[in-house]
Amino acid sequence: MTEYFSNIVMILSKYWKVFLVTGVKNTLILALITVFFGALLGVLICLGRMSRFKPLNWFLIAVVEIIRGTPMLLQLYIGYFIVPKILPFNVTDFMAVAVALCINSGCYQSEVFRSGIQAVDRGQTEAARSLGLSARQTMGRIVLPQAIKNILPALGNEFIMIIKDTSLASTFFVGEVMTSYLVVKGTTFLTMECLMITGAIYFVLCFLLSKLLGGFERRLKAHD
Amino acid sequence: MIKTVDLHKSFKVADKKESLHVLKGVTEHIKKGEVVSIIGPSGGGKSTFLRCLNMLEIPDSGHIYFEGVDITDKKIDINQHRQKMGMVFQHFNVFPHLSVMENITLAPVLTKKKTQAEAEEAAKALLERVGLLDKAAEHPGRLSGGQKQRLAIVRALAMEPDVMLFDEPTSALDPEMVGEVLDVIKRLVESGMTSVIVTHEMGFAKEVSDRVLFMDDGIIAESGTPSEVFNTPQNPRTKEFLSKVLY
Repeated sequence: MTEYFSNIVMILSKYWKVFLVTGVKNTLILALITVFFGALLGVLICLGRMSRFKPLNWFLIAVVEIIRGTPMLLQLYIGYFIVPKILPFNVTDFMAVAVALCINSGCYQSEVFRSGIQAVDRGQTEAARSLGLSARQTMGRIVLPQAIKNILPALGNEFIMIIKDTSLASTFFVGEVMTSYLVVKGTTFLTMECLMITGAIYFVLCFLLSKLLGGFERRLKAHD
Repeated sequence: MIKTVDLHKSFKVADKKESLHVLKGVTEHIKKGEVVSIIGPSGGGKSTFLRCLNMLEIPDSGHIYFEGVDITDKKIDINQHRQKMGMVFQHFNVFPHLSVMENITLAPVLTKKKTQAEAEEAAKALLERVGLLDKAAEHPGRLSGGQKQRLAIVRALAMEPDVMLFDEPTSALDPEMVGEVLDVIKRLVESGMTSVIVTHEMGFAKEVSDRVLFMDDGIIAESGTPSEVFNTPQNPRTKEFLSKVLY
């Protein structure tokens, strides 16, 4: 036990930069990129699914179901190999994996948006339309402002999920926390100790974020 | 003012093959200044008929003429016409994220009927009329059911409609709050507002209406003055219905 502890201290004093600087930085960058572009993509998919143009509906339903019905690791592999072939400029591994993560997250987030919008009582739409507001005005002034309150907490959860999911990107050595683990384990051969450190980092990141979002949610509720 | 010709409407019922035929040819003429109450058993098509009048429910066939324009015509801008028809719902449907004042001013300002200042001026007068002026800055979450429904009524009135449609305006209220809402509606219809009221408050229908429609099984089974319908009903279904309800 004491040996474990002294090993962890040793690893941290020697390799803390690999974990806390390179690893955490890349994990956070990857997660932020994924959340941001995933949200953009999510809004677009959600709008497309609510449009009256049926072929677009069907196409997007198919895409979302395929993404939800296949493992993320498989999607990362496909992204890793396909994205550099499709995009005309030089694509780093990091970017290729990020694109795959964004598409995955976009599909999940589109469902969050959709359910948040659908959770707004139909009576709200009917009341707004009965006053003579257009569909667009009703969406913008009545439905979306109420949907945001349903959406934000679920989006926070998605953010936490993404932080953990970025660990899958270590398969391609893109430099996030899980890659730090692989690197340090590879030189020290202290597997268990490195895993403990890595786990602690993920836990602290997710726990802090969860508390932060909780506080934000309470402020939203207090506003009611 | 509103004329309907042979309205039909069916709803698809989940996991059933045949659809539910709710309106089976409703032809009716509501004249300017008239107060019409619609009574009848649940599922008889009262609310569906009322909701067709401003196209919240789109009829499968038939025509609705509002002030001479066929609003079932897909080429017309329905929003323009809805602005002249106020509607009050059973569940109030006030906007919870807006203050009482914003609930009222939103539509007149967005539809460019009024400037913000004009709308607020008018809203204050309306709130005064229904005794809610002191609540102008509150959010609806702090209002009682009766206050919410009174807010919903003045929200509709802020658009200065030519006709008001009431869809069971007191059915979701606590009993002690029914009176205050009926009071507001009564004062409104007495001021000459053309109104169509779907209601289970028989006493109220009898008191304020110029005409009462009894709807059952998708048709208007009986129509006449309150005394005709309530005192000397002709249709056996009307008789049966009225014998079952207390008023």
